[in-house]
Amino acid sequence: MLFSVLIYGSEDFYDALSPEEHQEILKKHGAFHERTKSDRTFAAATKLMSTGTAVTVNRDSSDFVVTDGPFAETKEQFMGFYLIDTANLEDAIEAVKELPFDNGRVEIRPVAYFEGADFQNAERLVIDAS
Amino acid sequence: MPSAWLSTHLRAARPRVLAALNRAFGDIDLAEDAFQEASLKAVRIWQPHDLPKDPVAWLIVTGRNSAIDALRKRRRETLSAPEDLEPAHEENNPEEDLTEALDRSVYRDDILRLLFTCCHPVLRRDQQIALALKVVAGLTVEEIARAFLVQPKTMEQRITRAKKRLQAARLSYEEPDAAERADRLSTVANAIYLVFNEGYSASQGTALIKEPLCEEAIRLARLLVRLFPEIPELRGLLALCLIQHSRRIARLTADGQAVTLELQDRSLWDRKLVAEGTVLLEAALRRAKPGHLQIEAAIAATHARAATYDQTDWQEIERLYRALQHIRPSPVVALNHTVVLAKLHGPEFALERLDGLQSSLERYAGYFAVKGSLLTDLARTQDAYDALKRAFDLAGTDAERLHIEQKLQKLSKGA
Repeated sequence: MLFSVLIYGSEDFYDALSPEEHQEILKKHGAFHERTKSDRTFAAATKLMSTGTAVTVNRDSSDFVVTDGPFAETKEQFMGFYLIDTANLEDAIEAVKELPFDNGRVEIRPVAYFEGADFQNAERLVIDAS
Repeated sequence: MPSAWLSTHLRAARPRVLAALNRAFGDIDLAEDAFQEASLKAVRIWQPHDLPKDPVAWLIVTGRNSAIDALRKRRRETLSAPEDLEPAHEENNPEEDLTEALDRSVYRDDILRLLFTCCHPVLRRDQQIALALKVVAGLTVEEIARAFLVQPKTMEQRITRAKKRLQAARLSYEEPDAAERADRLSTVANAIYLVFNEGYSASQGTALIKEPLCEEAIRLARLLVRLFPEIPELRGLLALCLIQHSRRIARLTADGQAVTLELQDRSLWDRKLVAEGTVLLEAALRRAKPGHLQIEAAIAATHARAATYDQTDWQEIERLYRALQHIRPSPVVALNHTVVLAKLHGPEFALERLDGLQSSLERYAGYFAVKGSLLTDLARTQDAYDALKRAFDLAGTDAERLHIEQKLQKLSKGA
């Protein structure tokens, strides 16, 4: 079975880190990558860019509305995410309009780091679990 | 001495806590002392695995209580304070009752008020920068003095004078309304850009780049973008800083000499910063409210897109300079525009444009450096030499002088 591991944290805190402290944190992630790859539990790793890069797409009656920034409040819960590969933000906004918007919104935030795409292995993991 | 872990937490909380304390007391000095007291208390009480639920709220309440104590002492009598100035709690979980004070919109206005106070127009630019670095970013007077190459005592005086000036101006601490907010934010954005520029191309002294100043400016810009995502010019500011900063390693040789854009090794540019800056800019431009920082970021992004100097889209950059000159005309922008025109239409065309600028840029080394290199391209060696000599005499930094000196040497070798 595939599990998502979602990381929440304070951006103010991360911005205040010194390069050495940053390196310390990355080292722990590196160890996690290595361990999960060696025991074949690794599927993908994704780091998003800062929330300042985010836009939110909403549907207002019949029209799509794009607002700046991530959700201001977290009354909604994080429910899952897609990775799409488009040329720019405009194309990404166009693409997500296909998704159901009746009970929610979609935040678009560019990926700063991605590793994975071992989709065969991921599929096998899903099949194994069922 | 607090651990690195703890000081990082305090550093991260600082702008918000100080902003809230400044709102409560309307006194930057008192707010700074109160933050200091609260930090000392945190160093004693906080444990790495037992942090307050909301460190920012904890520091605000603790700082507020300590400021009230200080006020009492100062007046040598019990302060007949309004209800809301009474210490909220003595110990334990003081943050619980503070949900209202931590409301996002209050945060936004607190920070804005603090930044605007530091960037108030009654202050000179150097005072604005020094105060913002001291108060908001939390750099020590020694650190700021080192960055500006003055004695700590001189910097201390500069900051004290700035604070006195603010008091003398009897600033009102009224809530900024929405229209005024946009105005104030553009002042603040410009001040942060000045901090970045002071780090990116130091106006005086030996060091060409002062990285910590660039990093502080980027940190402040990030904070503002998070608080005011709907204001495109702030994203423009952050985009501009990130894209410029991406070149920091390529801009200097190992022995500290400047490398021009043309000769920079583009594989040394930090692609992550370029990518983030480009996305921020794209999001900003969607609002169709261009400001000079967005346009400058677009120019930087166009350079960043080119795989080599020869592949630079000069047409696009020329269009952007025209827009910039329209929104925010200045002789220096006109000078940069001329450099781009030389790429498109040749040195002769550019030189003609340049003549019109001489009277306003008579004391500007950059003007004569550009003139010198255009004249070099036209093989007017003696005129080129004179212009470069003039640029050398006007240059402010050692690195700039060295750079011009090399051009002069090349010229006399070629002749």
